[in-house]
Amino acid sequence: MDAPADDTLDFSAPAMVEGIAHVVAVEGDLAWLEPEQTTSCGSCASSGACGAKGIGTTASRLEARRFSLENHAGLAVGERVVIGIRENALVKASLTAYAIPLGTLLGSGALAQWAAGSDGVTMAAMFGGLALGLGLARLNARRLNTRGDLAPRFLRRADEAAACHPVTFNKKVGA
Amino acid sequence: MKAYILLMVSAALVNNVILARFLGLCSFMGVTTRIDTAVGMGMATTFVITVSSMADWAVETYLLQPFGLGYLRTVTFILVIAAAVQFTEMIVKKVSPPLFQMLGIYLPLITTNCAVLGVALLLVEGRMSFISATLFAFASSAGYTLVMVIFAGLRERLALAEVPRMFAGPPIGFIVASLLALAFMGFSGMSAN
Repeated sequence: MDAPADDTLDFSAPAMVEGIAHVVAVEGDLAWLEPEQTTSCGSCASSGACGAKGIGTTASRLEARRFSLENHAGLAVGERVVIGIRENALVKASLTAYAIPLGTLLGSGALAQWAAGSDGVTMAAMFGGLALGLGLARLNARRLNTRGDLAPRFLRRADEAAACHPVTFNKKVGA
Repeated sequence: MKAYILLMVSAALVNNVILARFLGLCSFMGVTTRIDTAVGMGMATTFVITVSSMADWAVETYLLQPFGLGYLRTVTFILVIAAAVQFTEMIVKKVSPPLFQMLGIYLPLITTNCAVLGVALLLVEGRMSFISATLFAFASSAGYTLVMVIFAGLRERLALAEVPRMFAGPPIGFIVASLLALAFMGFSGMSAN
């Protein structure tokens, strides 16, 4: 993928899903970022009473989602930036993580049921199929990652108006 | 074979989890503002419902029924679902950290999705074999994903439409959902034939 970082100006380029992240550490040419925590629903007018509000807001969960970018833009710790992934990347990731294991699970279960007709054998075959599917998903995820399909890109620095959730910065880079 | 196909069509379309059983309405309204997020949530829910239903069937058949512990069913199933979500999260993280970074946000939301528990309880009512239970769970969750994606597509178009101000946002979403439910009622004629 040799597309430039500013390919959002190119209308023939695939659309990007944008999100806001904080720079939490800079190490050489790498900037470590944490996504700004929002609910997957993007919040709404009823956010005060929403059951999704408390989910995943812990520091550990944010740290688990920490990622790195090449720091061509000279980002500094504490900066807020807009990052983007290709619109079809989420669909590709979902198909890889879930559809492949489910396909092998159901396929092996159907075969075992047809061949043996026993619940025990079907169950064992399904677990085998699930393990096989997870292996295949791992291979495909590695292929996608090598091609750069899953990597977020730096788009621009975020303006102050986009602020929504305060985050405490942690300069120590996590695992 | 015919029985399995009928079971799956019935679970996915005729008795759709969202539009006929009214389960999972929180995510139905909350995560359908974009098609790609609806696909992400739908696929994750499909995986978790299928895996947790397999585990729920085993727990029901080999533990709850033989020892007369049916009164612990709901609590046990919730525990199994939470464990299945944790298992999925661990597996996705292990299989591919980049995938976990992209999809991890959807998994905790599934624990509180009543469709997951609803499907597991329907399996017990149906007294199905293991393969039937798994196919029923898979088809139910595929129907859930289908409706989520259709509704997300409609909402993306609605966002560009000129809607009267008093109907803008969730109100027009609910009206569209009701029309979608009416459309899915058309599938109920299939079960009569």
